[in-house]
Amino acid sequence: MSQIPTHINFRTNVKNVPPHMPVSVRKATSKFLGTRQAVVDVVGDERWQALRQAGHEIRLHSLTHMDHYLTRLEEKVRAAGGIVHWARDAAEAKQIVLELAKERGVKRAVKVKSMATEEIGLNHALQENGISVLETDLGEFIIQLAGVGPSHIIVPAVHLTKEGIAELFTQKLGVDAPPDPLKLCAIARTRLREEFLSADLGISGANFMVAETGTLVIVTNEGNGRMCTTLPPLHIAVVGIDKVVPDWESVNVLLKLLPRSATGQKMSAYTSFITGPRRSNEEGGPKEFHLVLLDNGRTRIMKDEVTRETLLCIRCGVCLNVCPVYNNVGGHAYGFAYSGPIGAMLSTQLLGMKTAADLPFASSLCGACAEFCPVKIPIPEILLRLRHRAVEGDQIERAAAPAVIQAGVKLGTLSFSLPWLYEFGTQMLKYIQAPLRKNGWLPNLPPPANRWTMARPLPAFGADFRAWFRKRKNERQR
Amino acid sequence: MTTKAQLFITCLGENFFSDTLKDMVRVLERLGVQCEMPEGQTCCGQPFFNSGFQSGALAPARQFIKVFGKTDGYIVAPSGSCVDFVRHHYRELFPEGTPEHARVKELVPRTFEFCEFLLNVLKMTDVGAVFPHKVTYHASCHLLRGLGLREEPKKLLRAVKGLELVPLNEEETCCGFGGVFSVVYPEVSKTMMETKLDNIQASGAEYIIAGDPGCLMNIAGGLRKVGSPIRALHLISVLAAQ
Amino acid sequence: MNAREQILADVQNALHRTSDAPVAAISASARIAPRTPDDANAEMNMLFEEIGKLGGATGRVKKNEIKAALEKLVKEQEVKKATLWNTGELEELGIAQILTELGVQLVSPLADKRAMAECDLGVTGVDYAFPETGTLMLRALPDKPRAVSLLPRVHLAIVSPSALRADLGPAFAEVRGDNYWIFITGPSRTADIELTVTIGVHGAKALYVWQVI
Repeated sequence: MSQIPTHINFRTNVKNVPPHMPVSVRKATSKFLGTRQAVVDVVGDERWQALRQAGHEIRLHSLTHMDHYLTRLEEKVRAAGGIVHWARDAAEAKQIVLELAKERGVKRAVKVKSMATEEIGLNHALQENGISVLETDLGEFIIQLAGVGPSHIIVPAVHLTKEGIAELFTQKLGVDAPPDPLKLCAIARTRLREEFLSADLGISGANFMVAETGTLVIVTNEGNGRMCTTLPPLHIAVVGIDKVVPDWESVNVLLKLLPRSATGQKMSAYTSFITGPRRSNEEGGPKEFHLVLLDNGRTRIMKDEVTRETLLCIRCGVCLNVCPVYNNVGGHAYGFAYSGPIGAMLSTQLLGMKTAADLPFASSLCGACAEFCPVKIPIPEILLRLRHRAVEGDQIERAAAPAVIQAGVKLGTLSFSLPWLYEFGTQMLKYIQAPLRKNGWLPNLPPPANRWTMARPLPAFGADFRAWFRKRKNERQR
Repeated sequence: MTTKAQLFITCLGENFFSDTLKDMVRVLERLGVQCEMPEGQTCCGQPFFNSGFQSGALAPARQFIKVFGKTDGYIVAPSGSCVDFVRHHYRELFPEGTPEHARVKELVPRTFEFCEFLLNVLKMTDVGAVFPHKVTYHASCHLLRGLGLREEPKKLLRAVKGLELVPLNEEETCCGFGGVFSVVYPEVSKTMMETKLDNIQASGAEYIIAGDPGCLMNIAGGLRKVGSPIRALHLISVLAAQ
Repeated sequence: MNAREQILADVQNALHRTSDAPVAAISASARIAPRTPDDANAEMNMLFEEIGKLGGATGRVKKNEIKAALEKLVKEQEVKKATLWNTGELEELGIAQILTELGVQLVSPLADKRAMAECDLGVTGVDYAFPETGTLMLRALPDKPRAVSLLPRVHLAIVSPSALRADLGPAFAEVRGDNYWIFITGPSRTADIELTVTIGVHGAKALYVWQVI
């Protein structure tokens, strides 16, 4: 995705979701959840819960001491011969990467799947400046060809069928592509192999940054991550400041949680541990290593003690897999790189309420996400806090809800605090509804109540319990 | 001393589930519990809170505290969602230093959802109910994850004479109600409900049982719309049947 | 204020911290007791079993049967060019010599990336192995170039019981001064197209793991 949205209308986006989307999405998420359950069962529930607790504490500790660990990380990366840059926002980050690339005459860049670079729209910026950028994760490669954003954090092309991908390859790559995953994969391998060898820049994100030694941890499956961070002479990593963790014991715990939660693997196929550039010509690897530490709204997120826990996220995507809303709409409805419950929390805070006030409401608050989250982020609590911010405003942002709604609600709360008015209301409703009532149901109500009846009828109002109870009590006393 | 239950009838309960409330009284009295209905009660405030109007939730919550604060014994509600809200959010609405805080601290430990009350307070599983039907159970989200009642409601159902409990595929997946969510994003709510209905219809049950009025309104409405013969029923009404 | 100073100041403001604020100790519940290992043989079995589940080919090869095993591999995978780590361990096993005898052309591991990419087979040792997940850990050193396990189509890794570690922790502690290492858990894979697991995307299409006994 190259565009950073200025306004997200979730309801409109939902209406534009193609009908096959929920089917493909559910097929994928149920498979992920099945494999996840199998590997979690092997660990055993008691140990798994202890791991989740440890994961939570590690991430919270990292977050609440972030200045310390970032400083330490910087020092260690430097000591290893790497160069550290700091970017306050997307524009600064893009500028840094662009200048580094220009100074070195970079023409071709290859990329490892990275949510942070999606977030800042890095590809677009490089391409505008004549640098070719190729996504090399198969899923990202496919959506780059299709010109759309990711529909899932872990499997970005989850919404596409093999037939659709075959058509895309035939059209865009000019090859004869059959709808067979193995053959499509082989086409991508051949195509990308040459790109890996000729690229002069490898761009990555990181899953974790280890402050203790200045090491980036990059978890992948295809091997493209290794290619991008080994073959080109220049490696630039763009990483959100929230990805820092204190030490190796922390990495040990988090690597037990991440692959299991994400793809149901005990360990992903390749996990790279990178500290600065290569030390000897013999070993190979990039001559130059740059780390761009990205804020882009994260320090603002940290200001609120409840919502800051959004930044504990390790991007495993399990909250998407279990979310009944996500499963019915897919990733694009969320209008930004991050989707599902993490998108509802993170996009809202990164983009602000003016753009994304719809998103915290895109949840039934069922809590399944929090039950599965490997680092125990209290997702429903954060969404509630963000709803409050959207409607009434808080110390972080002013409210985005119109004043007329505010006034309407004030009126509503009044009836709930005046018991006589409330009881009168429950009785009045029984009479008001009469013309609309059919066999004990209200099949069609006028706006705005039609938002309920467009999906299903409402049971008729029928408050009579108080009268029944009082009468019964009186009779008994007599 | 007789056990006293102060009935918190809830706004959805009062307006749409009168029969369930009456059944609640019948079951409790059958078990020797003295029922009271505190006058002046309205709503716990959750609809406002979950819509983002947290300041709007204050007035109804104060009313709840005022009404129930005067009572003694247990506070019992036919809704996991409302109890979850009182238990987990009142302390946030009325933090230390607010005049209501002490009352909240006193109220919360004696506020129970109906299943919890039967199993954990009265220590009853078999309430002498007879319901010779094939039923399936939908786990309401706030009952399940808010109050942590995973097996308890099914334990109560299994103790009912003549009742056959059949499994429901995706039992723990939200039915699409979600309070304000159902009217903010009706299209998504609808597809979630339809998935739930498909699973209910595939279960082969005559009744779908749940423990929260919100879910029941949604599921019952959905069944009504597609003309299904399957009936949605509150767990309490099953336990009242004889 | 430059970006660095600004970000650090914003972090501290948000957290109500000062530069000299103490760092709390990481709590004990954030630490997990390491896995208890079984005996070396059982651990090696577990490692092989896990790698097998992922589509890797594992086996115990007698020292005097290495040639036969390599011959089979070369045939199976149609190996014409190979490269290998410059380590004493592999030299002692005579792998380079056997491959030459089998008519395989050897490419120096220090050759440029295009030459390496033309190799059908890359042979490496294994610095550490984690049975629980079927993971091999390979360091990157002058005699252990990174590309050997990356660019060739087939990867053969020779593992010995001394490499086994019950958990990641001890291995991290031993190599934390290194600038690079890699975990390899089965051959390269993707499930990006309709969740169909496809082996062999960009990394090795086939992974062989042998213990020489």
